[in-house]
Amino acid sequence: MVYIKILFQYILVFFVILIINFALPRIAPGDPAIYLVGDDIQYMSEEERLQVLKEFKLDLPVMQQFKNYITGIFKKDLGVSIIYGRPVWDILRDRLPWTFLIMGVAMLFSASIGIILGVIGAWKRGGRRDIGSLVIVMTLGSVPPFWVAMLLITLFSAKLHWFPSFGAYAIGAIPGTFAYFVSVLQRIILPVLTLTLVKTGAMFLTARSSMVIAMEEDYVMLAHAKGLKEKTVIFRHALRNAVLPIYTNIMMGLGAMVGGAAIIETVFSYPGLGNTIYESVTARDYSLLQGSFLVVSISILFFNFIADLGYPLLDPRVRKQTVGR
Amino acid sequence: MKILNLNKSEHRFRLVGILLVSFFLVTSVFAPVIAPYDPYERVGTPFERPCLEHILGCNDVGHDLFSELIYGGRVSLFIGLFASFYSTLVSSLLALAAGYYGGRTDRLIMRTVDVVMSLPFLPLVIVLGVFLGPGISTQIIVITTVMWAHPCRELRSQVMKIRESGYIDAARSMGERSIVTVFRHVLPELMPLIVPQFVRVVQQAIMIESSLSFLGLGDPVLKSWGSILFFANTRAAFLTGAWVNWVLPPGLCIAMTVLGFSFIGFSLGGRIGLSYYPFGSFILKRKKTSNDAPADDVRLSVNELVTVYNPVLNQCVAVNDVCFDVKKGEMLGLVGESGCGKSTIAMSVLGMLRYPAEISQGVIILDGKDLLSFSRQNFAKIRGRRIAYIPQNAMNALNPVVSIKKQLIEAVLTHQTISRAAAVERVREVLEMVEIPEDRINAFNHELSGGMKQRVVIAMALVNNPDFLIADEPTTGLDVLVQQEIVRLLVRLKQQLGLSILFITHDLPLVMTYSDKMAVMYQGEIVDSGSVDEVYYNSTHVHTKALFSSFPCLFEQKRWKRDAFLQEGQASLVLENVTKSFYSKRGLFAKGLKPVYAVKDVSLSVMPGEVVGLIGGSGSGKSTIARLVMGLETQDEGKIFINGLELAGKSRRMKQEILRDIHLVFQDPYQSMRSHMKIFDIVAEPLRIHGTRGRAEIDARVRNALREVSLPCDDGFLLRHPSELSGGQRQRLSFARAIVINPKFIIADEPTSMLDVSLRSGLLELMEKLRSDHGVGFVFITHDLALARHFCDRLLVLNDGSIIEQGESDDVVFSPVENYTKRLISAVEEPDLMKSSRALSV
Repeated sequence: MVYIKILFQYILVFFVILIINFALPRIAPGDPAIYLVGDDIQYMSEEERLQVLKEFKLDLPVMQQFKNYITGIFKKDLGVSIIYGRPVWDILRDRLPWTFLIMGVAMLFSASIGIILGVIGAWKRGGRRDIGSLVIVMTLGSVPPFWVAMLLITLFSAKLHWFPSFGAYAIGAIPGTFAYFVSVLQRIILPVLTLTLVKTGAMFLTARSSMVIAMEEDYVMLAHAKGLKEKTVIFRHALRNAVLPIYTNIMMGLGAMVGGAAIIETVFSYPGLGNTIYESVTARDYSLLQGSFLVVSISILFFNFIADLGYPLLDPRVRKQTVGR
Repeated sequence: MKILNLNKSEHRFRLVGILLVSFFLVTSVFAPVIAPYDPYERVGTPFERPCLEHILGCNDVGHDLFSELIYGGRVSLFIGLFASFYSTLVSSLLALAAGYYGGRTDRLIMRTVDVVMSLPFLPLVIVLGVFLGPGISTQIIVITTVMWAHPCRELRSQVMKIRESGYIDAARSMGERSIVTVFRHVLPELMPLIVPQFVRVVQQAIMIESSLSFLGLGDPVLKSWGSILFFANTRAAFLTGAWVNWVLPPGLCIAMTVLGFSFIGFSLGGRIGLSYYPFGSFILKRKKTSNDAPADDVRLSVNELVTVYNPVLNQCVAVNDVCFDVKKGEMLGLVGESGCGKSTIAMSVLGMLRYPAEISQGVIILDGKDLLSFSRQNFAKIRGRRIAYIPQNAMNALNPVVSIKKQLIEAVLTHQTISRAAAVERVREVLEMVEIPEDRINAFNHELSGGMKQRVVIAMALVNNPDFLIADEPTTGLDVLVQQEIVRLLVRLKQQLGLSILFITHDLPLVMTYSDKMAVMYQGEIVDSGSVDEVYYNSTHVHTKALFSSFPCLFEQKRWKRDAFLQEGQASLVLENVTKSFYSKRGLFAKGLKPVYAVKDVSLSVMPGEVVGLIGGSGSGKSTIARLVMGLETQDEGKIFINGLELAGKSRRMKQEILRDIHLVFQDPYQSMRSHMKIFDIVAEPLRIHGTRGRAEIDARVRNALREVSLPCDDGFLLRHPSELSGGQRQRLSFARAIVINPKFIIADEPTSMLDVSLRSGLLELMEKLRSDHGVGFVFITHDLALARHFCDRLLVLNDGSIIEQGESDDVVFSPVENYTKRLISAVEEPDLMKSSRALSV
C-alpha cells in the first residue's frame, strides 16, 4: 500500500522528467536543427537543413515525435553523439561507473566523518572543540569545490608529482591487472579528497542539529531516569532517532553528487558523467547533453526511491500499520 | 531585545558573518573608486608578475587582476542577491498558498516542488543556461528556477504549523478574510523563517554563479570571480607559478563571501543550541545541615533542601528549605501550581538536575544513604533501580523508533546481570502487572493510546523492583476516566509492592483522595504538610486555604444559581442533526476507508443569556461542535442557525455579519493570540474586522472592554505584548477581545483548563459578570463536571460525538440516566472529608 503510493509518485516524476527532457531543445529559442548538428548549421543550405530535420524525424507532428522519443528511450536509443560519433547510450554506459565510484567513496568518507564529528559536536556543544569544528567545517563548505580541486592539483600534481591529475586510469593499463588497479586508485584520490572536504560540512551540520533536537526530547530524559549511562543514552536513544534526517540527507546527497560532481570531474578531466555534460555543452553536442541529463535525473530518482524504501526499516512510524490505531 | 550579544556564540557567528559580507558588499559597490584600473582595459603586459603597479599582476591579455577581483564581486553578489530575492519571493508566496489553503492548491504546488527537487541541480542549471543562452539575466532566471523548491517545502511546513495555531483559528472565527489573515498573521510569523532561508539561498546562488562562470557558461562579457578562475583554468595558471596571484584570490573571495552568508544563516537558524549539560551536572555547594539520622521506617528523607538556578547574575531559588519524609509503603502527595518548584524537587532527588542548577544546602537520604554524596556514575546506578521515575507527559516519553519490549529489556539489563530470557520474562510480568495485553509487547510508541503509554512508562519504572517511586504529574493530559484508572493502578501497586511514592500534581482532589500524606508547595516552599486531614483542617497558609476553596465540590450547593429561565423568544444558536466526519487518511486509495465520526447527529439549542455546558472526555467531539458553529469546519449533514440565520452558503460579508453575534474563546491563552501583536491590536481586531474605522471609537471601546475584564487600560498597557502577561491575564484578555463587539453569546472552549486552580474561580466570576451585565449567553465546553454543574444552567453530555444525555445541571448530576454519565460522575475525585465538611457548612 505504502509502496504502491511511492511507486506511483516516482512514475509520475519520471514522466515529468521525460517531458522536460523532450521539451527542452524544442522550446529553446532558435532553430531545432542547431541542436542536432551544432554550429555547422550556418554552413548548410536550406535544403540540407530540412534534410537533417527529416532525418531526425523533427518534421513530424509533436505528438508523433514524443512517441518516438519515448519508445527510443525504452530501446536504449538516445541518439548519436556528434563529438564521439558513437551512440549516446554506449558513451554513458562507459562513464556512469566512474562517477559512481568517486561519488560513492567520497560520500562514504564525508558521511562518516560528518556524522562522527556532528554527534560529538552536539554532545559537547558550546565547547571550544565544537565551535572550532563548526568554524572549520563551515569554512570548508563555503569554498568553491572547483577551486579546491585546482589547488590540490597545483600542490599534489604540479609541485609534488604525487598523483596524476588526468583521466581515470593509466593509458595502456589493462583492466584487471594490479597496475591498472593502482592507476585507478591514484587517480581517484584527489577528486575524492576534494568532494570529501567540500561535502563534509553539510553532513556535519545535519548530524549536529538533528542530534541537538533529539537530545532534548522527553524520551532521552526518561532514558536517563532509567539509569542508563550517558553514552548509551546518546547512541542508543538520541542517535537512533537523529539517524532519520541524517539518512535523508545522505540519500539526497548521493543523488545530488551525480550531477554535482560535474565540475570536479571537469577539473580533473575524469571520464565521468559530469565531465560528459561539460564536454557536450562546450561542443554543443545536444543529443549527448540530453542523454546525460536524462541519466543523471534517473540516478537521482533512483537514490530517492531507495531512500524511500529504506524509511520503513528505520522508522516504525512509517511502516504499514497493522496493529493498534 | 538585543540584536548582538557577544556572550552568545550565535551572535559572535553573526557578527563575523555581517562583517565579512559587508566588507565584500562595500568593496563591490565602490569598485570604481577602489580599483586602480579599469578591468576591461589592457594596462599591463600579459602574465605580468605581481609588482607595485599591479599588486596581483596581470592575466593573459594584460588586464589588472586586482581590479578584476574588485569588479568581479559586483557580478557575483548582484546575481547572488537578485536570484535569491526572486526565488525567496516565489517560494514564500507558493508556500503561503500551499500551506494556508491546502487541498488541491497544496498538492499541485508540492508535486511541482517534488519534481523540481528531483531534477539534477547543477546539470539542470547548465542545460537551461545552454538552451536559454548566456547572460546575466539567464543566470538569475536559471538559479531562481532551481532554487525556489527547497525553501518552499520548508516554509510550507512552517506555514502549516502556523495555520494550526490558535490565533489563526481566532482570526478566522471572527470572520477575517483569508487573504488578510495570511498577510496580517501568517506572514509576520513566517518572516523570521524566511530570512535565514534567503541567506541560505544567497550562499548557494553565489556558489552556482561561480561554478557556471567557471565552466564558461556565464555572461562572456562580464567579469565575475568565477570567470577569472575560468580563464585561469583554461590558461593552466595553476600549473605555473601564477596560481598564487591568479587562482588563490578569487577563490578566497568566493569562500569568504559564502562563509559570511553561511555564518549569518547559521546564527539566524538558531541551530547552535544552548550548551549541553548532562543530567546530573548540578553543582553541589552543600552547607552542613542537621545530621539526625531519620527513623527506620522512613524510606526517603529530604531535609532543608535548597535548589537554585544560577544563570550568571540573576539567581533564582526554585526550592527553598524544603523538608519532608516519605515512609515505607506511603504515598506523599505534593501539590502546587505551575512553576512552584515541584518538578525541581523530583529532579533533585533523582540526581538529574543540570547545570546551572545548584544544590546549595540540604540532605537527601534514601534508606540511610546520603544521596548527595554519590558520584554521577553511582547515582545512575541507583536511578531506575532503587528510585524510579514516572515523567510528566508520557506522550513523548517513549523512544518512538524502539519497541517497548526492547526499551523495557534495556531497563532491566542496565541494572541486573541476568540472561536475556529472564529479562524478557520479567518484562512480561511487569506488563501484566500494569494490565497491558500480552500481544502488545512488540508495539511501538505510536501504536499505543495515551493511557497505555502511561502504563508502559509505569511498567518501565517498576521493572527493577524499586523501593521509591516519583510520579511527576503522571495523569496530566489524559482523559478523566483514564486518569482515574492510572491513579488507582498506582495505589494498587503501592499496596501490592510496598512502594513509597512521591506523587506530584496540581490536582488537589486527586491528592486528597489517594495519598496518605500531603504537602502544599508555594513559590518554592512547602507551606503546609501533614496528613490530609491535618492539612485540611489546620492549614495555616493563605495559599492552602485559597486552594481548598478555589474549586467547588460536585455535590455541594450550586455556586451560580440564576433565576428561573424564561424559555421564550428566538434561540441564539440552533443545531439540527449536525454530523461531521473525518477521514483518518486521505490518499489515492483511501476513499474506501471508514470515516471517523467526530460529531454524530447532534441537535441542540441555546437561548439568549443561557449558560449551557458541553461535557465530555477527550475526543468526544466537544471542540468540533465549537469549530462547526464558528465556521472553522463545515458539517457533512445538518443545519446550524445563529440567530435564525444559517452560515452555510452565505457570502463572506453575510457570514461576517452573522458571526458578529458570537465569539469563540480558546482553551490555550498562549496560542490564541500572537505574541508579537500589541494588546491594543489584539482587542481591536474584532472591531476592525467588523468594519469599525474611527480611531477614537476603537480606542474607547478597547479601553472599555479591558476595564470590563479587570485589566489595566492605560496607554502603557495597551502597547505591551501578551508575552508579558501571565496565563490568567491572557485569558482575561481573550475575554476582552470577545466582548469588545458585544456578542450575543460566547463559546468558551475549556477556558480554565490551562490555568492554575487558584485562578479558575476568578475567571468564572468574570464570565458570570459578563453574563449578568451584558446578557451574554455561554456555551461552556469542559471536561470538568464539577465546574460545569456549578456554572451552567443546562448540561449536555457528549460521548463519541453524540449527545447522550441532557437536562438541567442538577438533574444530570443528581439523577443521571446513562451509564457513561454515571462513570463520569464517579470519576470526579471527591475527598470524603471535604464532602462532609462542605455538607456541614451548607
